[in-house]
Amino acid sequence: MKVRIRSPRDFCAGVIFLLFGLCAVLMGRGYPVGTARNMGAGYFPVVLGALLVLLGTVISIKSLMIAGEKLENIGLRPMLLVLLAIGVFAGSVDSLGIVAATTLMTVIGAAASPESRWREVVVLTLVLLGLSVGAFTYGLGLPFKLLPF
Amino acid sequence: MARRSASEPGMIMRIANFRLAIGMIIAAGMQPLLAQDYPAKTIRIIVPYTPGGTADLLARTMGQKMAASVGQQIIIDNRPGAGGSIGADLAAKSAPDGYTILMGTVATHAINPNLYPNMPYDANKDFAPIVLIATLPNLLVVNPSTPAKNVKELIALAKAKPGELAFASAGNGTSQHLSGELFKKMAGVDMIHIPYKGSAPALTDLIGGQVQLMFDNISSSLPQVRAGKLRALAVTGPRRSPVLPALPTVAEAGLPGFSITSWFALFAPAGTPAKILIRLNKEAAKAIASKDLQQQWMDQGLEPAGGTSDQLAEFRRIEAARWEKIVRESGARVE
Amino acid sequence: MELLANLQLGFGVALTLQNLLYCFTGVLLGTLIGVLPGIGPVATIAMLLPATYALPPVSALIMLAGIYYGAQYGGSTTAILVNIPGESSSVVTCLDGYAMARQGRAGAALAVAALGSFFAGTVSTLILAMFAPPLAEIAFQFGPAEYFSLMVLGLIAAIVLARGSLIKAIAMIVLGLLLGLVGADTNTGQFRFTFGLPQLADGIGFVVVAMGLFGFSEIIINLERRAKREVVMAQIKSLMPTREDFAASWKAVLRGTGIGALLGILPGGGAVLGSFAAYTLEKRIAKDPSRFGKGAIEGVAAPESANNAGAQTSFIPLLTLGIPSNAVMALMVGAMTIHGIIPGPQVMTERPELFWGMIASMWIGNLLLVILNLPLIGIWVKLLSVPYRLLYPAILLFCCIGVYSLNNSAVDVGLALLFGLLGYLFIKLDCEPAPLLLGFVLGPMMEDNLRRAMRISRGNPEVFFTRPLSLALLLIALALLIVVVLPVVRKKREEAFQE
Repeated sequence: MKVRIRSPRDFCAGVIFLLFGLCAVLMGRGYPVGTARNMGAGYFPVVLGALLVLLGTVISIKSLMIAGEKLENIGLRPMLLVLLAIGVFAGSVDSLGIVAATTLMTVIGAAASPESRWREVVVLTLVLLGLSVGAFTYGLGLPFKLLPF
Repeated sequence: MARRSASEPGMIMRIANFRLAIGMIIAAGMQPLLAQDYPAKTIRIIVPYTPGGTADLLARTMGQKMAASVGQQIIIDNRPGAGGSIGADLAAKSAPDGYTILMGTVATHAINPNLYPNMPYDANKDFAPIVLIATLPNLLVVNPSTPAKNVKELIALAKAKPGELAFASAGNGTSQHLSGELFKKMAGVDMIHIPYKGSAPALTDLIGGQVQLMFDNISSSLPQVRAGKLRALAVTGPRRSPVLPALPTVAEAGLPGFSITSWFALFAPAGTPAKILIRLNKEAAKAIASKDLQQQWMDQGLEPAGGTSDQLAEFRRIEAARWEKIVRESGARVE
Repeated sequence: MELLANLQLGFGVALTLQNLLYCFTGVLLGTLIGVLPGIGPVATIAMLLPATYALPPVSALIMLAGIYYGAQYGGSTTAILVNIPGESSSVVTCLDGYAMARQGRAGAALAVAALGSFFAGTVSTLILAMFAPPLAEIAFQFGPAEYFSLMVLGLIAAIVLARGSLIKAIAMIVLGLLLGLVGADTNTGQFRFTFGLPQLADGIGFVVVAMGLFGFSEIIINLERRAKREVVMAQIKSLMPTREDFAASWKAVLRGTGIGALLGILPGGGAVLGSFAAYTLEKRIAKDPSRFGKGAIEGVAAPESANNAGAQTSFIPLLTLGIPSNAVMALMVGAMTIHGIIPGPQVMTERPELFWGMIASMWIGNLLLVILNLPLIGIWVKLLSVPYRLLYPAILLFCCIGVYSLNNSAVDVGLALLFGLLGYLFIKLDCEPAPLLLGFVLGPMMEDNLRRAMRISRGNPEVFFTRPLSLALLLIALALLIVVVLPVVRKKREEAFQE
């Protein structure tokens, strides 16, 4: 019997909840669980994880029966580039300094939008550099390394 | 610029001058590494706790005094987490050039190494001691409705009602928790430990009567004692505290040998040049000896220290051994 | 009357030119900090502490306090304009505030937020003046059992927040609860879900989750929609609220003030809880609850009043007892200590000019803030007309720096990235982030207090029902649950009936 997923969004959501819940139960069991009267560190993780598994299952089953909207496509360009920009910032701010981190992040981030124009990006980068160095590092005294040395 | 031929003697001189200039620039850039000109740029004190706590305030007040004296900025870098281990680890792995130092505590250098099985740093080998800043005892305080007026009565009460008395602490593995565990072991009583996230909620529940007693940092509980919200029974240190001279120590009042002290000290990463360490020690000791800081700290129950780096090294060794014993005997454990 | 004499003393202190100047500096700085996502009053006050050494104690405290409640005003600005909560208590403002901005009514939302905050600030300053000591005693009535029951009530209220599918909202709450458990367990010290990372030993920061879930994901979604040429922002209509707006919101402001003032006294989640509770109340008693989430002005007025009222009353435990109720107050303890004032119950009697001077300057600060913020609305709204392609990298930078500055940790930024991805997926799957955030905040407190209450009562669960305050809260929670579930059940029965 072919099962048709009537609401793909709910189905995916249900699966995600189920997976999170499963992780919680499995990891929670690694800690001392205790009893209801004397709860250990693992009690809540296991109970909540089980609850999440249950909820995820119900949502997924409901999605087979009740119609819902289709899944939208994932816009790869904005998602990947924005996340990359943030990741590059996180990776470089301590090692290469705030100047490099800001520049890289702004350039990569700007690439995420097809509306960006390169001349503007240069000016924007300079403005943001001014802010991160002037306002945040010197003005507010945040302990950023300026340059890679 | 007129074109010249590279073979002209003038040009050779120019190239030599150029190289000399480059050499001087490189040498100048290396100045920060030479102790004679220390400090040549901003010094960073890593405080492994959140802003506003005792460690943070000590660093900020001392740092300000020292900055005025050395003529360079001193910034405070708060890196809280994991009971002080994150900040301490960061300091341990920083460049030993005298521009990154650590506000270490009894937790980072004596308790944690004995309490946690996996430490990211070695409290002994990874650090060079600079100076002991201050010490403070814990204060044994009880809710005023508890019918115990001194330590002996408290022990009697606890023996009469095993498992019924509850003591609060600022968290698992803190000196307050371990003070309570040591007390239990030495007095032979059974009390239940209720951990909180920090001193403030613990004090609130103590005043509210949810728990009966606490071994709290003297700086946070002193105001409550003075206002009559809590009753102080004893101090946990080896000597009486100057702010409460009438109050006996726990050792005097019934448990000879009981001694717990909290302390704060400056450390540098191991390998920092001796000249820089001596300079830092001098500057810090000067700040610690200043009248206004002394007054401010003593009002809170802190006892300013000072001394040499060797004295701190010795102190730390003794403390580490003592806490090893306390942790082992009290049976306290954290995962 | 003694109160008048005290207030006279207070205003005498607060109205000196010097203190007025410091008050203004504080609230201005606070507003700017509040607008910047991520960087909060904690970081700012910590950095400014050394600068205040040379100042007289009262002036220093007036300025630092101004930063704190000024940040509450600023936090609503980003929440409304770009759907990023500047402060944890501004999360709820995002829901309807941003919706209003999308409809071109950002000006009205900002104005109502500012005016509501001013009213709340005035009222709660008065409450502070008149009832500070007895109110402080309330904090002592709240033991672990009462906190647990309050959290249960809060979680049930979280369900009311849900706009769409109820069961998905509940799942998000549970997921939030689980995420809140990451870190060292207070009761046993056991590290949970930390994957060996020491940076997770103290849990995931609220700002990290909020920035990722709301801020980063919002940017990605906006870029995606723009690429598809979907309209994101309507044209700006007028800047000021209409008469209907005022009529609709004044009662919400009153209710929000009351709830916020009360809950702000409680150490812990007081301010956040206040704004959530105020929003939930409005949605529950509104004639047409479906308006909420789509731009109902009460949904902005109530939480904003609540969080500002809470910001004022959260000073009560500090000023009357010397016990800080949140991280900012802990810094204020530090500031007082540095200036030679030992915080404690005796401050009120030994240094009345400090106590009353601060109270008076709180009201003045609120006045300055509303004078400052109303004209700023024009500027903020102009910002919205900056082309998005230039705006979003700036927002990205501020969020990254803001998250970093919490603990000076790049790992936090990495975590926010993960939450950004998660938030984006959830938006695609029609799951709402707000209930998750509420579960995240309440969960650890709920578990903490449940286990602590059970420990203190030696394993006896009756304690939740025998203590009167706890019982009362649980009964209200039960009533709320019935009220929430009943219409859904009825609707399902109707649907089933129709088929």
